[in-house]
Amino acid sequence: MSATITIAAMQPLPVRRGGLVIAAAAVFLVAALLASLAIGPVYIAPGRVVGTLIDALAGARPSEGTGMRDAVVVLDIRLPRTVLAMLVGGGLAVAGAVLQGVFRNPLADPGLVGVSPGAALAAVLWIIFGSAAAGYLPGSVAAFGLPLAAFAGGLVTTVLLYRIATREGRTSVAMLLFAGIALGAMAAAGTGLAVFVASDQQLREFTFWTLGSLGGASWQKIAAAAPFILLLIVGSRWLARGLDALALGEAEAFHVGVNTELLKRVAIVLVAAGVGASVAVSGVIGFIGLVVPHLLRLSAGPSHARLLVGCALLGGALLIASDIVARTIVSPAELPLGVVTAILGTPYFLYLVQRNRAVLGG
Amino acid sequence: MYAARAIRYEVRGRAILDGVDLRLTPGKIVAVVGPNGAGKSTLLKIMAGERRATGGNVLLDDRDLTEWKPADLARRRAVLPQSIEVVFPFLVSEVVALGSSQRVPRSEAAALVSRALSAVDLADFGRRVYGTLSGGEQQRVQFARVLVQAWSGEGAYLLLDEPNASLDLSHQLLILRLARTHAESGGGVLMVLHDLNLAAMVADELIALKDGCRIAAGPPEHVITDQLIAALYGVHASVRGVPDGPFILPQTARLPA
Amino acid sequence: MLAALSLAVAAYAACAVSIAQAQSPRAIIDGRGRAVEIRDTSRIVTIGGAVTEIVFALGRGDNVVGVDLTSTFPSTAQKKPNIGYMRALSAEGVIALAPTLVLAVEGSGPPDVIEVLSNAAVPFVVVPEDHDEASVLRKVRFIAQALGEEERGAAMEKAIAEDFASIRAMRERIGKRRKATFVLAIGGGTPMVGGAGTSADGFFALSGVDNAMKSLPGYKPATAEASLAAAPDVVVTLLERNHDLSPDAMFALPAFAETPAARGKRLIPLPSYALAFGPRAAHAARDLAAAVYPDLALPDLPARPWTRDASAGKP
Repeated sequence: MSATITIAAMQPLPVRRGGLVIAAAAVFLVAALLASLAIGPVYIAPGRVVGTLIDALAGARPSEGTGMRDAVVVLDIRLPRTVLAMLVGGGLAVAGAVLQGVFRNPLADPGLVGVSPGAALAAVLWIIFGSAAAGYLPGSVAAFGLPLAAFAGGLVTTVLLYRIATREGRTSVAMLLFAGIALGAMAAAGTGLAVFVASDQQLREFTFWTLGSLGGASWQKIAAAAPFILLLIVGSRWLARGLDALALGEAEAFHVGVNTELLKRVAIVLVAAGVGASVAVSGVIGFIGLVVPHLLRLSAGPSHARLLVGCALLGGALLIASDIVARTIVSPAELPLGVVTAILGTPYFLYLVQRNRAVLGG
Repeated sequence: MYAARAIRYEVRGRAILDGVDLRLTPGKIVAVVGPNGAGKSTLLKIMAGERRATGGNVLLDDRDLTEWKPADLARRRAVLPQSIEVVFPFLVSEVVALGSSQRVPRSEAAALVSRALSAVDLADFGRRVYGTLSGGEQQRVQFARVLVQAWSGEGAYLLLDEPNASLDLSHQLLILRLARTHAESGGGVLMVLHDLNLAAMVADELIALKDGCRIAAGPPEHVITDQLIAALYGVHASVRGVPDGPFILPQTARLPA
Repeated sequence: MLAALSLAVAAYAACAVSIAQAQSPRAIIDGRGRAVEIRDTSRIVTIGGAVTEIVFALGRGDNVVGVDLTSTFPSTAQKKPNIGYMRALSAEGVIALAPTLVLAVEGSGPPDVIEVLSNAAVPFVVVPEDHDEASVLRKVRFIAQALGEEERGAAMEKAIAEDFASIRAMRERIGKRRKATFVLAIGGGTPMVGGAGTSADGFFALSGVDNAMKSLPGYKPATAEASLAAAPDVVVTLLERNHDLSPDAMFALPAFAETPAARGKRLIPLPSYALAFGPRAAHAARDLAAAVYPDLALPDLPARPWTRDASAGKP
């Protein structure tokens, strides 16, 4: 029998309390939600925040004075931003967990392996050429043009990535990362190419795509992205057993009754939908898809039924928390969100690479 | 009835298997023997539906294997591959539970898992992380998974690829006994085995493969002869017999000069 | 966080004063064609160097409660809370300053944040931007109107118009026009140059200099060959961004090595306010023209209140 040193399974783990971890993630999410609504450059007493929310639920909204300003800050800025952070964070974490399950590899982060850059390139192309195309499309399609384009870009990259990195159901870690780097570079090259035909105004918006931000959160954006992200979060639930079985290997998953071809296709489409929509509304935000699933596998175990729920909760909570940092630390200015998640995530990624030195051939 | 007929399997024009017949019946153990590269594992993969033969066909319950849905197939046959690397830190009990189909209620599945782990002498290993076990322990965990799958199905066949490759003697015997028990309870078993003696001991029927062709088939006492050993391995050995069946002693075997 | 909190508290305190200063409401059509009602100009956030300079020049520097990163003049502006880069604003960061009016030059962003701010309680006015003389005068008039400082604005407009007239006279003295290439940045040896329609192109026209890279639209990375073929007489860079770039380093680049500019080692650093088309545009144009045509011995323009740092904050 060949050496069976498995990735991320090199140390015995303490007894897991999966249910407890999920509950803790839910509590963290609720706490982050409340903190995000209460904290910001504008000081609003927590009681007033709650009051403003309750008034809004009752349909009342002050139209002048500090009441109006508080309503604007809480309802128009913080609330959509928080909701979008929860959706995008949860979506990216679930996408990371699903990708890692399909590739049987804990290093597959949508940003790292090129899925997000691919979606971003498609989004940039849509911004440049899409406005011309939108005239010929039905209104409903045009409204979702940006997330749909990003979805298509994410789909193409994910399929390419799978084709390149996987041979006979086995994914090589090195090939996955190399292919990811290559696809990321190709997407960057495409964006560079787009620069030549873009106007200066469009050009300025490109930093948004590479560094990520939730600064422009609005209910329209949430409405455009939520269906895709929820499709991923809810749909991934039915992938849980198949992804568990896939951990044994592709042939073995088939042996226990999993339709692996269908599973992989559905997984890739769901990931592309979720990541594409996330990129379309918030740019490329890295490392959430890497850090969250890994933390949960350590604490709650790798079983996907629990893992995916945990990812939706903890991913949302972690991105909300990162966004609080991004918008308060240099107040009244604001850091790009991608910078915050990269500062949090890069050391973690290096630590993971270090632990997988043997597998990576270092 | 679970039968392969005139199986041919080519990779880039080279035949790995050529015209192989194989029939599994409930209550019987069939063992495939042969030298390295004879096509034994490929034959098992084709029987499992994991690979598709380039010629011939496999019928299960009178339906071509390619027409089966993976989930239905999983209820009729369970497969133990040679070695399995599990990514992510799954617990032993979680790995074993993957054998149970979704139709089995959760509490019942848990009972099957602990029964299977006891059967392979790993009763207390449920909460251990699979990746931390030794090679032999991992193999027994996988065997337990296969048992759970067989038990959750209906008269399922077992397809075992070298089920005792890295086991000590007592656990080798344990696994063979479990296979025999399965056959006695009405299931069919196919095993690929390296060890001729074990094969002769456990199998009701032996199939000898060389270079992708079936060169002998039948009850062990008919198949295992000095001539076959010479044809299969190019080794001169003299076959002896005990009441349980034929055997060879490696001490008596000689490579040709 | 703490800083944000104390800032917000200070903003509250200042709010009380502002009510006393409230003026009669005025409506204004801003750069996007939106009608914005302005009631109170006691707490202003200015976005864009030109906007900030004009607000200070109109004597309303004390009312400025926040500026962006490009607002570096007068130096008192730099002491105001900074809301970051004008194209990467934070909606709540701006609101946290409790402004009663936001004046933002066209092109501030990101667009989504501008949209959120425009729908917020604070009047958000986009100041129209273009890269020519008329745009400077229009900005002054527009901002004066928004602040209710029409009288002071008219005087300022008149003075600036005189400066532009002087510049026009200077341009007429130029015999043979020289060509310049504007280099925004040198990314990996491929210079990002200013083509047609850019602020640099507009500023060259104002200064009586031909843009050697007119064939390109916008700011684009240009190949070394295209840069060479354009054969600029001078190369112009941004003072603030490329202060450590020596003429030797610039003209060692293949893109410029064999150009007339390289032979004369003519590398002119341009202060970034020149490209903002603010009140100092004419003075900046004179400085560039004087540097490109040293033989003409162009005279200085008269100093104006808005070109002098020390007095710029006071009326």
